[in-house]
Amino acid sequence: MTDTDLLIETMDNRVRRRNDRRDMFKMVLGAAAVGAGAFAFASPAAAQTVTDADVLNFALNLEYLEANFYSYAVFGTPIDLALTTGSVGTFGTATGGRKVTFTDPVVAQYAKEIANDEIAHVKFLRAALASAAVAQPRIDVGIDPNGAFSSAARAAGLIGATTAASPTFFDPYANDINFLLGAFIFEDVGVTAYKGASPLIANKAYLEAAAGILAVEAYHASIVRTVLYAKGVDTRAAATKISDARDSLDGGTDLDQGLGDATTSNIVPLDSNGLAYSRTTGQVLNIVYLTKAAVSAGGFFPNGLNGSIKTSTQQA
Amino acid sequence: MHTTPILSEVLERSALRREERRGFLRMAGGAAAAVGGMSLLAACGNDNNGTTPTPTPAPTPTPTPTGAINDGDVLNFALNLEYLEAQFYSFAVFGTGLASTMLDGVGTQGSVTGGRKVTFTDPVVAAYAREIAGDEIAHVAFLRAALGNAKVAMPAINIDGGATGAFTVAARAAKVVGATGTFDPYASDENFLLGAFIFEDVGVTAYKGASPLLTNKTYLEAAAGILAAEAYHAGLVRTVLYAKGMTTPALRTNAGLISDARDSLDGSTDDDQGITSTDTTQSNIVPTDNDGIAYSRSTGAVLNIVYLNNASVSMGGFFPAGVNGAIRTSAAN
Repeated sequence: MTDTDLLIETMDNRVRRRNDRRDMFKMVLGAAAVGAGAFAFASPAAAQTVTDADVLNFALNLEYLEANFYSYAVFGTPIDLALTTGSVGTFGTATGGRKVTFTDPVVAQYAKEIANDEIAHVKFLRAALASAAVAQPRIDVGIDPNGAFSSAARAAGLIGATTAASPTFFDPYANDINFLLGAFIFEDVGVTAYKGASPLIANKAYLEAAAGILAVEAYHASIVRTVLYAKGVDTRAAATKISDARDSLDGGTDLDQGLGDATTSNIVPLDSNGLAYSRTTGQVLNIVYLTKAAVSAGGFFPNGLNGSIKTSTQQA
Repeated sequence: MHTTPILSEVLERSALRREERRGFLRMAGGAAAAVGGMSLLAACGNDNNGTTPTPTPAPTPTPTPTGAINDGDVLNFALNLEYLEAQFYSFAVFGTGLASTMLDGVGTQGSVTGGRKVTFTDPVVAAYAREIAGDEIAHVAFLRAALGNAKVAMPAINIDGGATGAFTVAARAAKVVGATGTFDPYASDENFLLGAFIFEDVGVTAYKGASPLLTNKTYLEAAAGILAAEAYHAGLVRTVLYAKGMTTPALRTNAGLISDARDSLDGSTDDDQGITSTDTTQSNIVPTDNDGIAYSRSTGAVLNIVYLNNASVSMGGFFPAGVNGAIRTSAAN
């Protein structure tokens, strides 16, 4: 981390601690209903070996999320219903998104390109998994003050606390910058998720395909980071706050990086060996569930993921 | 790299040396649990280029079947490509190449022909160039540390922008310049970006194509990390070329020509794409197949591109004396 990052982090710590507590309470309350049952389910599953299908289905859940976010932003609709069915798991709708009125034509083009790639990933993984493919779970990509995007933005310090009298919310569909920040929340996570899962995949054909999706997520992340960096000081700072929030959710290890400053860009988040980071499935779920706790639902997946990998990691 | 503020080359070099040692220890520790330590890799390193690998007290050296490739061969193949990228970016940013301590190893050590500092006009492009240079130097350090005594030396590299340089040969083949024109990637921001474009997507397809060849899970995950870094780099370069192409359309056209040239060198399969879609009002920053998946290249196809030759040869283009290591022959297309 740079000195600037440390400074920002120090300034944000009080806010974050407050938000963490609030999120924790919210999660505890929200998870209470499913917590006991999920734990009983998760324990025997954890004792089993994770299969390639488990890993690919985990990825498919994340692709459902990304594809729906971009599909709403670009086309104004969720992904085709025919791409969401499955006999495994409980089907849910993806709700709350809307079409972005882009002002920068280049950003509009990038958004469309990414949307089509993510939809292709859903199709590919469903075809590869065939009858073992999980159904799309319930997905929240809306702008409700208590919804996932607003909670994530609040945890990052991008918006203040919400009250009934003066609600605060984050709308990733409001303009180009907000869309890019919304995209930023996901893209680097996809890279670290695929990298972390790479040694879990036994079949070489699946491994190479997963490496191909990993590469595409990294291209996407790079587009989003490059454009946010070029847009100036404020967007750099906002992206870095989101990065810090991800880092605070997924445990003590520093696995995330912001965009750098005017003289030293940091488009590529890498360790000192020049390698991208890995996240475990549990750490990825900490981020998309927006919690440091071990739970099986929350955040962008109000009813949790479908499939055998669905529990986030308990972080200190 | 975020953790390495680029104050001066000297500072960075010392930081890298420190990281190299740290990386080595981390790698050795991880590998010890997985495959019984670095000695296995050292023992199985390349042996097809007439040099004698340093004897290593491996407990049970595993005989390698003739023609089979091992993890060391694959990582050394990658190291050759990282030498090339690191030297190009290092010269473009710092005006000098890799430190002499980062060049030795198995095989014939060569020197660098060409390369000079770019006078950047856009400070953002300069920042990106510094960042990528730092990353590629880190990749060289990391792979050398991971390979230990089995690492190959840097082969002869041609990154010259003059009339006889490899960049000019590539640019003429791509028709970015005419049959007698020259292409100097150090002459301007735009040329630098096009020079970088020649390499970056190739790195992505090379690491993806090599991923199923790696047997050790630790190396596999590390290679996936480099693959990601190369894809970030490629995405960065393509995004900037596309954005600048709004006012300088030739950048988009030339990126397409370079992509086409790569495609014609590496065989009949279409595994490359320019930065504009067939619908010319739409970007194509991410080169993917219909499944939204990045392409793979075999080692032979990668060598077709860096040797600038669609025939089966063992040297040429950016590597005038060939790459070092067991994997060194391009495919016959």
